[in-house]
Amino acid sequence: MDNQLALIGYDDSDTLHLATELGARFIAAPAGGDQAWTDWRADLRADAGALRIVVALFHAVSAEQKLAEMQLESWFNRAEKPLMHWMMALGGAALLCQDGGAIVAVTDDPTPLDSSGFAAEAAVGQGVAALVRSLALSEGKRGVRANGVLTPCRLIKRPPVAPSPPLSGFPGTLGEDVLSSVRLLLSADAAYLTGHCLPADRGRSW
Amino acid sequence: MVNSQRRSAFISGASGGVGRGIALALGEAGWSVWIGARRAAESEAVAAEVTALGGAGHFLYCDVTDEQSVAAALAQLVATDGRLDGVVHNATSGLTATKSAPLANFSVEEIWQHIGVAMRGAYLLSHLAFDNLKQNGGALLILTSEAGFEGKANLPVYAGVKAAQRGFARALAREWGPHGVRVNCMAPLATTPAMDRAFVTDPSMKARVMGRNPLARLGEPLQDIGRAARFLLSPDSVYVTGHTLMVDGGSCPVT
Repeated sequence: MDNQLALIGYDDSDTLHLATELGARFIAAPAGGDQAWTDWRADLRADAGALRIVVALFHAVSAEQKLAEMQLESWFNRAEKPLMHWMMALGGAALLCQDGGAIVAVTDDPTPLDSSGFAAEAAVGQGVAALVRSLALSEGKRGVRANGVLTPCRLIKRPPVAPSPPLSGFPGTLGEDVLSSVRLLLSADAAYLTGHCLPADRGRSW
Repeated sequence: MVNSQRRSAFISGASGGVGRGIALALGEAGWSVWIGARRAAESEAVAAEVTALGGAGHFLYCDVTDEQSVAAALAQLVATDGRLDGVVHNATSGLTATKSAPLANFSVEEIWQHIGVAMRGAYLLSHLAFDNLKQNGGALLILTSEAGFEGKANLPVYAGVKAAQRGFARALAREWGPHGVRVNCMAPLATTPAMDRAFVTDPSMKARVMGRNPLARLGEPLQDIGRAARFLLSPDSVYVTGHTLMVDGGSCPVT
């Protein structure tokens, strides 16, 4: 395990797979409500931190659904609650990340061409992108980089809307597209990149 | 119910600032404009200005975070006008102009307040207005911000919800397009009471804002912002959807 690499996420198989592949120390995000998140972030101040922090919050995947048919509870669980969790988790990542380090956020995000029925997930994905840019601006002064990886691989189950993406294999996988993008953004090869969100989607969007 | 000859629009948070500018621009064009807000006196004054310009101004109490409140407001509008051509989600959390800090300094409660107004409001207005909007090929317009493109070091929660609105609108445009309903965003930069308060909260902000503005001025809510919003609500933009129009004097380098 790399003691200078930590991964914040839910205690689920996708997240643990990423942590294992990266050799990262796993930091479980709270399963509870508001007070649990407040306590979790406060407790991070006692953590020694790490040079590289990956935040990967994989919420339960829901099928595509028209907004007119989506009830408030579903909207809350698909959009509002995930974005609140992201705000707390990325704030925690900023606390954990040592000077000169790097933060990478991995989020679900439907590719724009295929986003009909995924308005809630598109909101969260783009919200996370702006949070990453905000961290790049606020933490850059101490040498911390913040970047993101946007992936449709858990969301899009149907064939892509025409035209086809330039590379085969859309929507990609966590083990290939996402892991390789994370490794790139954490590496010294990305030492001068900050505020970017890579769409790991086989060229579906840019 | 009267099927009004006037086009009819609902605007959230239009008791002042950019929302007022949009209301007045629609009033100039003779629209029936429903000011959905919580501040009655200010909203009644804007409604009167709309009427004075040739439109029909109305005030409706509306809390965009409350499903029953939004449903009741839209029901009253449709019962009166018999049509709904445009919905504008302009309301913004009052915290935007009063708290400037990095992300880790925002509490859960503050985050919920931003999410409530920006995202719950966008959902409720869209969810509840769709059936009426599709009757007339209407349009939804969400007021976002340059922060939703480029992030903000000390307004990260605001930036996050404004970007979320853009993602939401882009996806919804694809979903609603086959029904003839357009969905767009606009990112204004304007002289407003909220901007004035933000300049007080962060005294260095004005220099940063003006230093990158090629037109060297803030937008005026009616002439610069309201009329651009009117374009996005009117049939003149019938082939525009899924777009975020920057109305910021060229300030934001990201488009």
